[in-house]
Amino acid sequence: MPDAKRPEFTPEQIAEVRRLQGLYPDKQAALLPVLTMAQETFGYVSLEVEEYVASLFQMSPAHVHEVVTFYTLYFQQPKGRHVVSVCHNLSCHLLGAKSIVEHLTRRLGVEVGETTADGRVTLLTVECLCACEQAPMMQVDDRYEGQLTPEKVDRILEGLR
Amino acid sequence: MPKLTIDGREIEVAPGTNLIEAARQAGVEVPHYCYHPGLSVAGQCRLCMVDIDKIPRPQIGCNTQAADGMVVHTQTERVLETRKSVMEFHLVNHPLDCPVCDQAGECWLQIYYMRHGLYDPRMVDEKVHKPKAVPLGPHVILDAERCILCSRCVRFCDEVTGTGELGIFNRGDHSEIGLFPGKTLENKYSGNVIDICPVGALTDRDFRFQVRVWYLDAARSVCNGCARGCNIEVHTSRRRPHHNQGRRIARIKPRHNPDVNQWWICDEGRYGFRWIDDDTRLLAPARRTNGKDVQIGWDEAITALAEGLKRYRPEEIGILASPQMSNEDLFALQRLVGQLGLRAVDHRVPPRVPGDEDELLIRADKNPNRRGAELIGLGQAEARAVLEGARQRRIKLLWVFQHDLLDSGWPAADVTAGLAGAEMVVFQGPTANATSAGAHLLLPSAAYLEREGTFTNFQGRVQRFRTVAEPLGEALADWSVLGRLGRTLGGVDPVFTAGRAEQVFAGLAGQVAAFSGMSYRGLGDAGLLVKV
Amino acid sequence: MAEKIFTRNFERASSHTLAVYRETGGYTALAKSFQMEPAAITEEVKRSNLRGLGGAAFPTGMKWSFIPKGGTAPKYLVINADEGEPGTFKDRYLLERDPHALIEGMIIAARAIDSHLGFVYIRGEYVQPWRVFSGAVKEAYEAALLGKNIQGSGFDFDIVVHRGAGAYICGEETGLLSSLEGKKGWPKIKPPFPAVKGAFGHPTIVNNVETIAAVPHIINRGAAWFAGLGTKTQGGTRLYSVSGHVVKPGVVEAPVSVTLRSLIYDHCGGIRGGHRLKAVVPGGSSAPILTAGEIDVSMDADGLKAAGTMIGSAGVIVMDETVSIPEALMVVARFYAHESCGQCTPCRESTGWIYKMTHRIVEGKGRKEDLDTILDVAKRGAGTTICAFYDGAVGPYVSYIEKFRGEFEALIPHEA
Repeated sequence: MPDAKRPEFTPEQIAEVRRLQGLYPDKQAALLPVLTMAQETFGYVSLEVEEYVASLFQMSPAHVHEVVTFYTLYFQQPKGRHVVSVCHNLSCHLLGAKSIVEHLTRRLGVEVGETTADGRVTLLTVECLCACEQAPMMQVDDRYEGQLTPEKVDRILEGLR
Repeated sequence: MPKLTIDGREIEVAPGTNLIEAARQAGVEVPHYCYHPGLSVAGQCRLCMVDIDKIPRPQIGCNTQAADGMVVHTQTERVLETRKSVMEFHLVNHPLDCPVCDQAGECWLQIYYMRHGLYDPRMVDEKVHKPKAVPLGPHVILDAERCILCSRCVRFCDEVTGTGELGIFNRGDHSEIGLFPGKTLENKYSGNVIDICPVGALTDRDFRFQVRVWYLDAARSVCNGCARGCNIEVHTSRRRPHHNQGRRIARIKPRHNPDVNQWWICDEGRYGFRWIDDDTRLLAPARRTNGKDVQIGWDEAITALAEGLKRYRPEEIGILASPQMSNEDLFALQRLVGQLGLRAVDHRVPPRVPGDEDELLIRADKNPNRRGAELIGLGQAEARAVLEGARQRRIKLLWVFQHDLLDSGWPAADVTAGLAGAEMVVFQGPTANATSAGAHLLLPSAAYLEREGTFTNFQGRVQRFRTVAEPLGEALADWSVLGRLGRTLGGVDPVFTAGRAEQVFAGLAGQVAAFSGMSYRGLGDAGLLVKV
Repeated sequence: MAEKIFTRNFERASSHTLAVYRETGGYTALAKSFQMEPAAITEEVKRSNLRGLGGAAFPTGMKWSFIPKGGTAPKYLVINADEGEPGTFKDRYLLERDPHALIEGMIIAARAIDSHLGFVYIRGEYVQPWRVFSGAVKEAYEAALLGKNIQGSGFDFDIVVHRGAGAYICGEETGLLSSLEGKKGWPKIKPPFPAVKGAFGHPTIVNNVETIAAVPHIINRGAAWFAGLGTKTQGGTRLYSVSGHVVKPGVVEAPVSVTLRSLIYDHCGGIRGGHRLKAVVPGGSSAPILTAGEIDVSMDADGLKAAGTMIGSAGVIVMDETVSIPEALMVVARFYAHESCGQCTPCRESTGWIYKMTHRIVEGKGRKEDLDTILDVAKRGAGTTICAFYDGAVGPYVSYIEKFRGEFEALIPHEA
């Protein structure tokens, strides 16, 4: 059972790490893809995961921590089973992003940046996802959902277990 | 060699010289934070901008190489306004900590604001808050709010020590210097980040809140911690004896010497000076009488030692000189040894634990003047044989300089037997130790920091050290005591009448080929290599 | 109606597959390019007046010619698919609906610059586009269009698809390279420039998705044809991403000489719901804003430059009279403060500071000095930074306040 506090890749995963490292002239280039892989495996990027990944790259943990804290897609704390990221940049703002965010905080009972008590949903606001033609829109896990209305938002939330 | 013009001054520089260095050579200061000659170029602070003919926008000087025919201007209206702007950006989130910040008085935000800023501040919003007073390791403490994110410390740990402990986390104005959570900054050179930090973000835990820098005096010296002899500057607190807990030395900073230590010093050297004010310092000559040390005057002490040297035959006298002694001390000793015809003389007492060495600065030999002792010729006998001679009572007068033989690589039992075997044990050094405790005659040496002199480092570089503080109590330089002893014994060597270390060194230069032609003036601040 | 070049496959079913791509002439340009010398390919692209379509509008052929000739150092072709400029979404469409156009363009470009290894850096949030594009790359390998000895030409070229992890600054070409190398997306100080010392220290060309997608067409139908579609200084059609208060937001392909008025009213149905146009951002959020009276302008690089703004990523954001410009500026300022990488002092400190001031103004707590402070701080920082990110922030900071100053002043409490 992958454990973010005691992280270890399977032999197949290690082979994949080495394969990724071999794609580039410098193996450090595989750091972001491997961190993404680690997050998918262990649920989030804990400090233990950072040190583990650092050892796979013979890098100082401080430099892995730099990367993890720089990019927004790495979660340093456990996240919900689903991540809902609402865009609040210009076009979405023009088309009512603020009220969509308010609707979500009411429906989910959390503030932006928090996870529901049952661990189902983490709610975030993010910068431009480059789907402005569908504004207001949000990213739900891997997919974009646009032309949002409160009703559409409710239907989407219902589908999240 | 490119020839360029800076503010109307024409100069020629080596190829590859950047404009900050070229300007320095032309006597023009280009203010900067992130640039450091010992580190890679970062180009982050944006303060070093200069105007260059035929280039429409100002360019950073650190990343621009001097080119033939280049015409550089550092005082245009645009450059001066840009500097003001960049100073404002650096200070927007900077906390007003000056009254409680150790850097005050040598802070480059203060200095450059006064030289290049002088604008009216207009930031009225809440500043970004970050962790303050965070110990990073045994020597360094971080205030992340004060940090201007120049990244010098990060580059130092990556490029100089190769340990990579520091990073800049997050992004935007929430960027923060730090360690990987839970780790410490404990490489052997951690203190150097304090020197290179232009502001009070990384400060010295040892020096914290001790004394304001404007009360300090500085003297140039070299470290005596190992055979490298890193060049240092010793800062003393003399004007405010109630600060710095009454201690004389406040801190040590490295001096730049491209051939010896570049810009750096190891932590052991940086923090290894507390012994100078320790209560183990020997303050006056003393004689063992009825099992107790009784303080005596120098006249009596010299007389007692002279009598001892006359009483015994040359082969009954053994001397263990120390590679901690200066060239001057060793030379005066060598003259005395020659006058008395002594043979059982050596300096090679093994250390208890073999010293560690690295590829950066640290040398395994933890003595500053081994080369000096070798070149001056104080290694005729085998030190072990001298000890043996004492143990077998063939050597009746054992004269030990500085060593703690009971804390050496020799078995303690052998040492005890040796010390017990000699009829007269003389100990001469700055600090008492287990060996001196058993000596019949104690002669206090002025610490090297308390006088002038030279050491010869492992490269054969002869380097001056200068007086940092006055000798404690009645302690005297070894060469001075040896000179007086020599005169008492009827010697006429000019070294025995020298009144200044410089004169002793002149004698050395005249007598020992390796040092020929040298003088204190010639040694300057960077030293000279001995002739092989 | 102008001819569809970039969008010709967008509405076709399974347009992302190799089979469908071939149906409209896909990979014929590749075959033709193998008959050309690499230098001739670059020459053709130069004469086509193709300008970079990611943001800087730099002449593409000229950029390619900066690669040092000969030498043993490997050369890399890096595709900037880190689309992130607010108001822009056209590269997403290309990745999802015509990925083979990018692949074909890459192989041709790679031959021109003597590169045998290409990286496609796709922003981390683009999961579906990444999956589709990766699938197309797999198809290409299976059809011997990638890998060793492509189509028996003797030319080897590999593509590595690389995902980002969430940072707008990785759309800056050297920020992208730093990220590709496994570090924070900190842009690199220049010189050296990427063509001399780029990814992993080797000569590198970074091009936008759309720019490279134009290359097969240029090769197939000639530089003169492409150049003739546009203005004297910029050839071809391009993709405009139109969003905001228009009736029909979406990707619009038009010749680069199209006017902003035509885009809004002819192509996108005009302003929604009976409202009035108030302002337009013509080239992604970094482009200085235009008022409703300034839309008779040609949407090419030099036309917009002459109008005091820029084409940038061609992200057109349309605002009607319901918009509070101060609020819009706060939203944009929040974006720049969030995305500043923090490496250099002017940008790091002033993006945060200016956001705080705009936020305070919108909250009704503005001070009378604030507007001039924002303008002065912005102008003082412009041109002093490592990369153009800050100059992109200065675009809105200055233009929103200078063109709509009254609206800001109305929010600032008067002193008693």
